[in-house]
Amino acid sequence: MSVVLDIQHLSVAYNRKGLALEDVSLQVPQGGIVALLGANGAGKSTLIRAVTGLLDLHHGQITGGQVRMLGQLVSGMPAHRLVRMGMGQVPEGRLVFKHLSVEDNLLVGAAVLPRAQVKDGLDAVYQLFPRLLERRNQAAGWMSGGEQQMLALGRAMIAKPKLLLVDELSLGLAPLIVIEIYKQLRVIGETMGTAMLIVEQNAHLALSFAQSAYLLQQGRVVLSGTAQEMSASPEMKASYLGEAKAGKGAA
Amino acid sequence: MNNTAITSHRPSTWLWLVFWAAILAYLPVLLTERAFFGIPLTNTQLLNLGLTQINLMLISMLGALSLNYLTGCAGLISIGHAAFFATGAMAAAIFDNQLGLPFPLVLLAAALAGALAGTLAGLPSLRVRGLYFVLSTLAVHYVVTYVFLEYQFKFFDVVGIPYATPRIGTFEINTPVRWYALLLPLVIVVYLGLKASLKSREGRAMLAMRDHELAATAMGVDVRILRLKAFGLSSAIASVAGALFAYYLSNVTSEAFNINFAIQFIAMIIIGGMGSLPGSLVGAAIWLLLPSIIAGLSPDASSENAFLSKLLVENRAQLVQLIFSLLVIVFLIFAPGGVAGLSTSLKNRWTAWRNTP
Repeated sequence: MSVVLDIQHLSVAYNRKGLALEDVSLQVPQGGIVALLGANGAGKSTLIRAVTGLLDLHHGQITGGQVRMLGQLVSGMPAHRLVRMGMGQVPEGRLVFKHLSVEDNLLVGAAVLPRAQVKDGLDAVYQLFPRLLERRNQAAGWMSGGEQQMLALGRAMIAKPKLLLVDELSLGLAPLIVIEIYKQLRVIGETMGTAMLIVEQNAHLALSFAQSAYLLQQGRVVLSGTAQEMSASPEMKASYLGEAKAGKGAA
Repeated sequence: MNNTAITSHRPSTWLWLVFWAAILAYLPVLLTERAFFGIPLTNTQLLNLGLTQINLMLISMLGALSLNYLTGCAGLISIGHAAFFATGAMAAAIFDNQLGLPFPLVLLAAALAGALAGTLAGLPSLRVRGLYFVLSTLAVHYVVTYVFLEYQFKFFDVVGIPYATPRIGTFEINTPVRWYALLLPLVIVVYLGLKASLKSREGRAMLAMRDHELAATAMGVDVRILRLKAFGLSSAIASVAGALFAYYLSNVTSEAFNINFAIQFIAMIIIGGMGSLPGSLVGAAIWLLLPSIIAGLSPDASSENAFLSKLLVENRAQLVQLIFSLLVIVFLIFAPGGVAGLSTSLKNRWTAWRNTP
C-alpha cells in the first residue's frame, strides 16, 4: 500500500511559544483512515496547519523535518497550491462561506476542477448528501451545524482530493449526525480511495471509524498503532476512553 | 416552490426592463424641455432636478459601483477612492492636454493608469489586514493627491487643470444630453460587467474570500492574486470615472479630490447596501439627487410657514449635511444592509404575507 501522506520528524514552533510539535512522524496510507488523537493543546491542529501550509497565517513555522504528499515534498508550499495537488481540507469549525448559497460554496471548492467535470462533481456530492440538494439555493450560514458540516465536507470532496484532512468534525454537533457524517466519510474512503487524516477529540468515535491512530501529547507522538491496538492500550483507556475511573492522576 | 416563483416572474421582468428603458430614454427630454409630453412642469414637480445632476450622478455611480465591488464584494475597505479618481483626472491631463491623444484612448489610458495605481495600492493587502490596511489606503490618498497638486502647479496653474470638450471622432460631447448618452451606456456596461464577473469562478472565489479568507485558501483560492485583481479592476473603473468627472467639470483642482470626496463613496455604498451592485446605484442616486430635492422643497414652504421657510433657505447647506448624516446613521443602525438589505427583507415579508392563508 502506497503512502499518501508521509510526515518525517516534523517540528513546529510558534513565534510566541516554544515548540508546538517535536519530532512527529506519521503516515497515512492510500485509502486509509488515520485518526489523530489528543487532548486540547496537544498539537493536533498545529499538525494540520503544518501539512496544509496555513502555518504562517498563525505565525508559526516548521523548524525541522519534512512533509511529503505522494512522494513530493510539500512542506513550505503555499496552501492554495497544495489544494491543486490533491489535498482537501475540512477545517475546524466548518467555515462555510456563510453568505454564499450551498451550491456556490460547492462551486468554490470545484474551482480547481476542469469546467467539464464540475457538473458531475456537484451530482456526486448531492448524491452523498441529499440534504444539500434540498438546500442548494439557501445561504449556507443559516443552515444547521450538521448541514454546514456536510457542506464543508462536500466542498472539500468535490475537488476529488487524494488526501483529505478533517479537523474536529464532531465539534458542536449532535452525536447522531456525527455518526451519519462519519459513515459517509467511510463510504467516500471506500469508493474513491481517498486517504484521510482525521483529528478528533472523541477517541471512542475516531477509533471505531479509523484503521489506525496516533496519540499526541504535548507535541509528541506518545502512542500509535492500529485502531484495535489503540483501543486495547491501557494508556488510552485511562486517559481518553474513560474506562478506568479515577485511575492515575491525569497530566 | 421557490423555483416556480422565479420562473413565473420572468414576463414581468421583461416588462420592467422595457419600462425602465423607456424612462431612461425619456428622462433627458423631460429634464431639458421641462415638460411631460407637452405639459409644462414646474421646477418643484421636477424635484428641482436638471440633467447635470443626473450626469454627475451617473459618474458617481461608476465610483460607487467600483468601491462596492472592492469593499462589499472583495471585503477590502478602502478610503483611497478619491485617489483613483484623481489618477484618472491626472491621466486625462497628461494624455489629452499634454500628449493630445483622442478622447477614447485617453479613457483607456486612464483605465490602465488606474489599474496600475490600484494594484500598487493593493500591495499592502498582501501583508496587512483590517484597520491597518484601511490606513494604508488613507496613505495612498494623501500620496496621490500630493502628486496631483505638484503636477497641477508644475504644468498648469493655481486655478486648476482645464479640460477641453471631449470629442469622439468629430462628434463633440458638449451638451448635457450628449453626456447623458455617453454616461448611461457606460454605467450599464460597467454594471453588467461587474455582475457577470461576480458570477464567474474568480468572482465566486472573491465572495468566498470576503466571507472567510482562511477557508477560501483551504479551497485552493490564491487570495493574494485575487485581492490585487479586485483592486486593479476597481481602481481602473474609478479612474475612468475620475477622467470623465474632470472633463465634465472642464476644470479641476487637487482640492476636488479631498478626503470628503473619498468618504462620500463609502456613504453611498453604506446607504445602498454593502456588496450589492444595484444598491450602489441607488446609494449614488440618493447621495447626488437628495440635496437638490431638499433644496428644491424649501421655497415652497414659505407660503405655509414663514419661520420654517426662512430657516430652510438660510441653512440649506447645513440642513442637507444634517439630513445626510442622519440618513447614514439611521441606515447603519436600522438597516445595516442598506437599501438593498431593506428591499430583500421587505420582499421576504411580502412573500410571507402572501403565503399566509
